[in-house]
Amino acid sequence: MRKGMFYGLLFTAPAILGFAVFTLGPMIASLVLSLTDYNVFKEQTTFTGLDHYVRLFSGEDELFYKSLGATFYFVVLRVPAVIILSFAIALLLNLNVKGRAIFRTIIYLPSIVPAVASAMIWMWLLNPDLGLINSLLSRLHLPTSGWLYSEESVIPSVVLTTLWGIGSTVIIFLAGLSGIPRQYYEAIEVDGGGWFHRLRHVTIPMVTPTIFFNTIMTIIGSFQVFNEAYILTQGGPNNKSLFYVFYLWRTGFRDADMGYASALAWILFVIILFFTFIVFRTSKSWVYYEGGERS
Amino acid sequence: MLRQRKSIFTVMALVLMLAAVLSACSKSGSESSNTSAPSGSSGNSGAKEKITLRMTVWGSPEEVAPYKKAIQRFEDKFPNIKVELQHIAADYDTKLTTMVAGNDVPDIAMMESGTIAFPLAEQGKFYNLQEFLDRDSDISPDTLVPNIIYSLEPGNVIGIGPGPESFGLFYNEDIFKEAGIAPPPSNVADAWTWDEFVETAKKLTVDTNGKTAADPGFDPKKIKQYGVNASTWWGVYSNFIYSNGGDFISADGKSFGLNQPEAVEAIQKISDLMNVYHVSPSPVQSKNIPATNVALQTKKVAMTIDGQWASAGLAQSKFNFNVGVMPVLKEPVTTVVCAMFSIFKSTEHPQEAWELMKALIDPEASIDMITAGTWMPSLKDWYTDPALLAKWTENLDSRPSGYKEAIVDVILTKGHQTPTGYVKNFNNIMDIVNPALDKVWLGQQSAQEAMDSIAAKVQAQIKGRRDIKE
Amino acid sequence: MRQSKLSLAAGYGALVFISGMFIIPFVWLIRSSLMNLSQIFTMPPEWIPAPFQWSNFQRALTALPFDTFFKNTLIIVVTVLLGTVITSTIGAFGFSRIQWKGRDTVFAILMTSMMLPAAVTMIPSFLGWQALGFYDTLYPLIIPAYFGGGIFNIFLLRQFYLTIPRDFDEAAFVDGASYWQIYTRIIFPLSRSAVIVVALFSFLASWNDFMGPLIYLKSDSLFTLALGLQMFQGSYTAQWDLLMAASATVVLPCVIVFLAGQRYFLEGITLTGLKG
Repeated sequence: MRKGMFYGLLFTAPAILGFAVFTLGPMIASLVLSLTDYNVFKEQTTFTGLDHYVRLFSGEDELFYKSLGATFYFVVLRVPAVIILSFAIALLLNLNVKGRAIFRTIIYLPSIVPAVASAMIWMWLLNPDLGLINSLLSRLHLPTSGWLYSEESVIPSVVLTTLWGIGSTVIIFLAGLSGIPRQYYEAIEVDGGGWFHRLRHVTIPMVTPTIFFNTIMTIIGSFQVFNEAYILTQGGPNNKSLFYVFYLWRTGFRDADMGYASALAWILFVIILFFTFIVFRTSKSWVYYEGGERS
Repeated sequence: MLRQRKSIFTVMALVLMLAAVLSACSKSGSESSNTSAPSGSSGNSGAKEKITLRMTVWGSPEEVAPYKKAIQRFEDKFPNIKVELQHIAADYDTKLTTMVAGNDVPDIAMMESGTIAFPLAEQGKFYNLQEFLDRDSDISPDTLVPNIIYSLEPGNVIGIGPGPESFGLFYNEDIFKEAGIAPPPSNVADAWTWDEFVETAKKLTVDTNGKTAADPGFDPKKIKQYGVNASTWWGVYSNFIYSNGGDFISADGKSFGLNQPEAVEAIQKISDLMNVYHVSPSPVQSKNIPATNVALQTKKVAMTIDGQWASAGLAQSKFNFNVGVMPVLKEPVTTVVCAMFSIFKSTEHPQEAWELMKALIDPEASIDMITAGTWMPSLKDWYTDPALLAKWTENLDSRPSGYKEAIVDVILTKGHQTPTGYVKNFNNIMDIVNPALDKVWLGQQSAQEAMDSIAAKVQAQIKGRRDIKE
Repeated sequence: MRQSKLSLAAGYGALVFISGMFIIPFVWLIRSSLMNLSQIFTMPPEWIPAPFQWSNFQRALTALPFDTFFKNTLIIVVTVLLGTVITSTIGAFGFSRIQWKGRDTVFAILMTSMMLPAAVTMIPSFLGWQALGFYDTLYPLIIPAYFGGGIFNIFLLRQFYLTIPRDFDEAAFVDGASYWQIYTRIIFPLSRSAVIVVALFSFLASWNDFMGPLIYLKSDSLFTLALGLQMFQGSYTAQWDLLMAASATVVLPCVIVFLAGQRYFLEGITLTGLKG
């Protein structure tokens, strides 16, 4: 096992070094800054200890709780939506149909289109009075919505816009599906199982490592939602889409209060860590590795 | 433990060595011109010392082009000065903040009054331009268009604007002709009252059955053409608050202003356009979708309250548009918004930077942007001298017949400084105000209720005014 | 594998529908890039440009030194791609196919690098690179790729490596193969489709990265396409026709790369399918 230790470290050395040199330093720096009143524009920085954290947990900063609430709502809506939808699309794309290369490309296209361009089209589609979607809905005599402009619908609408960009999650699922050995299907075909039977007993168990990966990454990514608030809503209406990282960015960069922003960041860090940890913990019971590994 | 630590040090040393090698490579490559320049010039010490000024700006290529032109003229005039223009296309404030953190600031920078300009000035990062204004014979507050000088406090000027902008009521002439309704007046003396404005907007709001908002049986759920479009950006509604005698903050700078009757009335009137009269579409963000030119051209709306920069897009759209004065509540007023140029304290060549700043605000340099419709000139003579005025207001697609009266005449005499220029802590105040206003725009609360509900919270953020001595 | 005709038809229908939804932004981008400013926002929307305004592309391409930007982007993309594929596959191998004490703990620590919002680590990172003398060079954008290539990619590959049956390595071990040989001869080829996914993501990420170049570069001569693209966003008036033309110019190479990657992707599937 000595050999294993040596080779294990050898193979992972670039990654560990990279972390130590490029990531750890800035992380520690921000942790230290969270204990100060660091303002980029100020010459002097004083140590404030846990003041920022006390202020955050004392309930004094309402926006902290508001942004936390908005972000949790977003995460709860988005994570299942992304996983289910992208898995379903991946299954469809895995069918043996003509032109599936074209379909795959099309599904992936929105992820390549620059954020500004796709934000523009969403603002245009979702404009309550002048937009395409509401004008279609009213022509079909269906109820319309205020979309990004109403308090109730803004977060679901933002989730909707992000679903357009699930191409990369779909691609990862596809790669996972492609790794399933044929003979498993052949074996179950002998049992006479139908489509659903195959899905339930071969496909899903075999892609659990991919589901696991996508779930973790979607959770981490969703908690850090920023662009949509930055480009589409500016946190409105009535702070209903004031996402956590948007609030953090506003504090750190617009108001130059980097010390406080760092404290905000570390609280989010702990939250994400917690949820990731839970998923990792539960994974033992549902993620199946052919290699016989436990994660 | 000890061995582990040792190995970490070895690793770090290796990385640093690698870094040093790589940086040596890069130095010999791209940065060689930078490092060799000063040593080269020190040789011929007899000639005037060669200096470099660094400057940062944002904007589209079209907007940056005039600066390049101004720099060219400047360098011709001062052959010993080289200007290094750094074009930061987006996330300007983020980039500038990291530059400040890294002690790598430019000599002169374009700044936005609503973002990091004042936070930087408060930490003493900018030169007080008052000293230069006092000494300079070419330029003074009297030769500049009013409201384009930004001060941290009286006597401490931190920036001067290169292209002032005011607001007007843009409209599609054909819609008015077809409806047989008189278009908005362009002369400020004849400006519509708010009621006249609402009445006209009603007649121009049409549902899919052809009924207008003034007719019985009008269906506000099926509107085909809106009478007016106004963004819920403070830049737009501030015009009416000022026109009604209100303000964001009291005259003594001690109390919140938007919950006072004058401001509340103005805000309520704008909300009523959307929620009571249904003559204006639901709240739109500052990024209008569709843009003003398209909304007017496609007859989605008949009139739009927008900044004069909308002329640039309108000029390209090729339809009969025109501009009138905004309706007046009590006094005719327009808010003047404008970016600024500031000089960093760390510059080694303040006098040269000041000369460059003068070159940048010279309208002759930015004439292309001005004739295209995006900007207006910063110097007063360009408004008062008929020959100069003609240069940018006559025979241009971007300047319709109403422009001179509705925009040019108004900005000189009826201008009001942008709130970002004199309300201290403006951003944090608006962080509380905007969410409350959202409820007003959506018709869920009256302006009075909404502003009263946050008054106490805002009061805690009131830090005074920049235009009065404390 | 048998698939009933009916379910195949239903699947096909669903694919056509979903693709229809997904292609809208792209079509919108392309058609806007060929329209004049006023036609872009016309309502109801028009999908065919009239007239086709090819000059948008000409103007967009000449307004900025796109050839320099393209060259810089290419340097970054190619070197980053290479570094990412090499070090992330090696790293993932070490985190999945080799047993060593503390492995999963180390991996978990590395995972935390994705959990802290970049907004607060940006300035410390910038100061670090500046202290190393790398401000205004391409190195801050390239070097990290050679140190693990991002934990996202390692995690992704690790998940794939873990699904490969352990007997493969055991058998090779018995034959006297080293870890390096197992990696190059068994694991790397078998996880081909995942490697291609990582390569694609790496390409697109560095192709579209805007924040990195914005922070670390100062001279125009080092600017990238993504940064150049942002120059089309004005602060007051947006030149949407030009912006769309510039966006299309930047996006099209990605589409081509993706279509090319697709082929290998499909091949990868048949390969692993047969062998497994």
